[in-house]
Amino acid sequence: MSSIQGIAGLDRVIHEPARLTIVALLSSVASADFLFLLKESGLTKGNLSVHLSRLEEAGYVKVEKTFRGKIPHTEYQLTPKGRSAFDQYRKSLGSIFNK
Amino acid sequence: MNVQIETAVKRARGYWFVDGFIEIAAGVLFIVLAVFTLSSGMYTSQMTFSSWFVSVTGKIAILKLVSFLIVFLLLWWLKDRFTYPRTGRVRGKITGMQILVLIKNLILFLLLPIAGLLIASLLATSTGSVLSSMPVWFPAGLGLLWGILLMLAGEWMGLRRFRWLAVLIFLGGVGTGIWQLAMGLPGIPANIQPNVLQSPVLESIKRALTSLITILLIAGVLLIFSGAWTFMRYRKENPEPYVEDV
Repeated sequence: MSSIQGIAGLDRVIHEPARLTIVALLSSVASADFLFLLKESGLTKGNLSVHLSRLEEAGYVKVEKTFRGKIPHTEYQLTPKGRSAFDQYRKSLGSIFNK
Repeated sequence: MNVQIETAVKRARGYWFVDGFIEIAAGVLFIVLAVFTLSSGMYTSQMTFSSWFVSVTGKIAILKLVSFLIVFLLLWWLKDRFTYPRTGRVRGKITGMQILVLIKNLILFLLLPIAGLLIASLLATSTGSVLSSMPVWFPAGLGLLWGILLMLAGEWMGLRRFRWLAVLIFLGGVGTGIWQLAMGLPGIPANIQPNVLQSPVLESIKRALTSLITILLIAGVLLIFSGAWTFMRYRKENPEPYVEDV
């Protein structure tokens, strides 16, 4: 595959910078809550929610809603599909820049 | 771009160290170990080396396990009340390989000091010069080992302060070795009979224990300073628990 074709073949769901940050943060942990992703990504709450929904629709992120006492708590984790997509994305990116 | 992705991955990996609690706890543990080793070297009624050695290593193993349990519960409580409400909760990813590495490290952590001294005592007759210089090379070697571990951990989690800690602890180990070489720190004053060992070897082991106590204290103080500095910075950046906008 030439590098130009490689660019075209990049996963568009992950390629968006905000979603890439979210997926990168989730890739090295089992799960993280909304507050962690909010603080680390620097996104606004609305923006983060939208991007997490997009990742959930793509089957890359699994959402788990629980309660801590009376307070609702939402945790996010990368699915095996999301993990594999992220690994593939990094490989593609690496091969594009190394050519 | 790959570098920025790597930075995000490392930030999540190093989140457990974001508040400095773990370093403070580790530092306190090191100091407790140093004080315990010192007290078992000072207040010992006359006994043979073998029985003293078995008694001390057994107590240290129990102390380590109990301390780990206390520290684990304390950290869990502190993070639940202080860190998670401010910057969120993260669950670490534990793979089969990580569990194996953890078990291996735990076994090494418990058995390495015992194995080291046993091997040293077995080699006592053939490698007298190596043993007599133990107070010098032991702290330097330990400083190097801890330094390498900290450097690798810092690299894996993108924590720059771990590199400084690694260098300082390594220098502390080398410094203790040079101190022993130049001035000769006293050995622990325990009243121990040589038993299976020759007297000079026992003296060397006693002085090596002084080196061990020194490097434990140096590493403990450095870890507490690093943890306290990290905690103050974290608290300044996150003074209040996060509150939902209304």
